[in-house]
Amino acid sequence: MKKSILFIILLISFVSFSQEDHDISYGFESNSQYYLDDSKTGDFLESNRFRSNNFFKIDYSYKNFYAGLQVESYEPKAMLNYSPNLDKTNLGLYYLGYNTGKIEVTLGHFYEQFGSGLILRSWEDRQLGINNALLGGRFKYSPKEYLHFTSFYANQRKGFAISKGNIIGFNSDFDISSALNFETSSLSAGFSYIGRSQEKTETNFDYNNSTDLFSSRIEFSKDHFYSNLEYVAKGKDAVIIQNQIKNAKKGAAVLANFGYAKKGLGINATFRRMENMNLFSDREANGNIYNESVVNYLPALTKQHDYLLTNIYVYQAQPQVSFQDPSLIKSGEIGGKIDVFYKLKKGTFLGGKYGAKVALNFSSWHGLKADYDFAGFDYETDFFGFGQKYFSDLSFEVRKKWSKQWNTIFYYVNQSYNKRYIEETFGEINANIFVSEATYKMGKGKSLRFEAQLLATNDDRKNWAGGTVEYNATSKLAVYINDIYNYGNDDVDQQIHYYNVGGSYTVGAHRFALNYGRQRGGLICIGGVCRNVPESTGISANITMSF
Amino acid sequence: MSTDDSRTQKRIKPMINGKGWDYQILLDKNQELKRALNITLIPHVVVLKGNEIVYRHTGYAPGAEEELYEIIKKHSK
Repeated sequence: MKKSILFIILLISFVSFSQEDHDISYGFESNSQYYLDDSKTGDFLESNRFRSNNFFKIDYSYKNFYAGLQVESYEPKAMLNYSPNLDKTNLGLYYLGYNTGKIEVTLGHFYEQFGSGLILRSWEDRQLGINNALLGGRFKYSPKEYLHFTSFYANQRKGFAISKGNIIGFNSDFDISSALNFETSSLSAGFSYIGRSQEKTETNFDYNNSTDLFSSRIEFSKDHFYSNLEYVAKGKDAVIIQNQIKNAKKGAAVLANFGYAKKGLGINATFRRMENMNLFSDREANGNIYNESVVNYLPALTKQHDYLLTNIYVYQAQPQVSFQDPSLIKSGEIGGKIDVFYKLKKGTFLGGKYGAKVALNFSSWHGLKADYDFAGFDYETDFFGFGQKYFSDLSFEVRKKWSKQWNTIFYYVNQSYNKRYIEETFGEINANIFVSEATYKMGKGKSLRFEAQLLATNDDRKNWAGGTVEYNATSKLAVYINDIYNYGNDDVDQQIHYYNVGGSYTVGAHRFALNYGRQRGGLICIGGVCRNVPESTGISANITMSF
Repeated sequence: MSTDDSRTQKRIKPMINGKGWDYQILLDKNQELKRALNITLIPHVVVLKGNEIVYRHTGYAPGAEEELYEIIKKHSK
C-alpha cells in the first residue's frame, strides 16, 4: 500500500510540472453490500455483514510515455463468493510504457489477447472478480501498417500475488490484402504461440515443464460474405482429476465462422470443437471456481439473453477433461450457433408504419464422441463425432415500434439444459420462456418500461413468473422494481419471491445506485464466463465515476 | 464503438446489417479504449469536438437521445 501511495504522489507531482502534451484520466468504482437475515431463505452466517469491493485507477500519459496504476480495496472483506485471494487493500496493477505507434514497450501489468483468445486472453471483469493481467515485459512492433508482431514474458496475476508458472507469448498478424492491394476482397492471417512453463510434479506421466500452444488463423471476406477459421494445437499436459494427476494428454480446438450480411439481412454461423483445452498459469488451479489463473478465453458460444428468467439455465463451455463416474466422463465439447437478423421494411403489411426487427438464434452443444477408459483415465476421441447432448437453445425476438411513444419486444426461448453433465450433479431441464416488454416514452427523458416473463418447465424447480416496472423520471434519475417468483415449486416453502427495488442517479460520466432485495443463488454470467453466487438478501450501493 | 469480446464479435456484422444501421461501427476488441478512458459502465457516450471531450454520459434511459441531440446541436455551431 505504501508503494502505491508513493506512486500516486509521484504521478501527481509529475502532472503539475508538465504543461502540454499530457493527459490524465481516472476512474473510481465501489460496490458494497450489507447482508441481512432473511426469514424465508435463512440468516446470514458468514463474518462481516458489510462487504465492499473498491477500485481506483489512474492513467497518465506524456508525449509517447504512459503510466498507470490501480488500487483495489476489499474492506472489511470482499463480497460473497469472490476469491479469498482478493483481500484487504493493495496495489492491483501498475505499468509504465512507451508507444510510438510503430514500437510499444510495456513494463509491469498489461492485458493481451491473441486472435479470438483461444490460447490467450487477459482481461478484467470486476463483476465476475476476474483480473488475469500479465505482469512482466511486452514488446510490440509494427514494421508496416499490415504487419504486427507482439512478444512478451510474464507471470500472471492471482489475487494480489502472481502465478508460479511463467508465460511466454508470440503473436503475428498479417493483413495480406492490404500488402498486395486487393481491391474487392479482404484476406488476413495470424499465427501465435503461448508457452506456459511450470516445474512438473514427479509422476509416471509423460509431459514437460513447458506446455506449448500454437494457433493459426485465416480470415477472408468478399462482397456480402465473410469467413474465418482458427486451429489450435496444445501440447501434452497433465490431466488433473480432483487435484490429482491421472494422465497426460494433448488438446486441440477448431473454430470456424461463416457469415452473410447486407442491408436488412444478416446471417452468421459458428462451429467450434474443443478437446482438453483448459490452460491455467498454475496447473493446480485447474477446476477452481473463481476463474483464477485462467490463461485462455473459452466462453460458451450461446446467445447472451437479457432477462432474469432467460438466465436461470445458462450454458457454460465444457472444454475440460472430467472423470466423475463411468457414465459421466467428459473430454471437451462440439457444437455450433446460428444467428439470423432481419428487418421488416416500413410500410409493408408486417412491418407497419415504423418497420420491425426480427432475430433468430439457435445453438446446440454436445460432448465429444470418444472411447472412454474409466479405470485408466484415458480416452480416444472421434474428430467430428457428436456425443452426449449438453445444451440447446432456440430463441426468437421481434422488436417493433408502434408510434413515437410505444416500443415493444416479444421474446421466446426454448432451452434444453443437461444439468447432470454441465454441473456434474443430476437432472435434465426442458423449458419454454416467454417475455414481453413495452416502453412508453413521455418525452424529455421521461419513460416507463414494463416486462412480463414466464418460464414453463416440468423439471427442476418447475415454473417461474416474473415482472419488472422501471420509471425514468428524467434522463438522470431512474427507479425500478422487479420480482421473479418460483410459484411452481413442489415444495411450498421454496415458492420464493426474489424481489428487488432500487434506483440510480446519473450525472455525466458518474453513476450512483442503491438497491434492496433478495438475490437468487446461481450463476452470474458476463461474456460467457460465469461466477456462482449464493442466495442472499441485502442492501447494495454502487458508485462509478470516470474523469 | 463495440466492446464485444470474441464471444459475440462475430454477431456484430450481421446484426448491424440485419437492423439496417447505417453508421460505422468500430471494435474495441479487448477493452483497450474502455480502460484508457476509465469507463466502467456500458453504454457510455463521449462527444468530441476536435480533440476535446465536450460531453460524457454513462448509462441509457429511453429519451436520453434527445438530450444528446441538443448537446450535438449546441457544439456544431
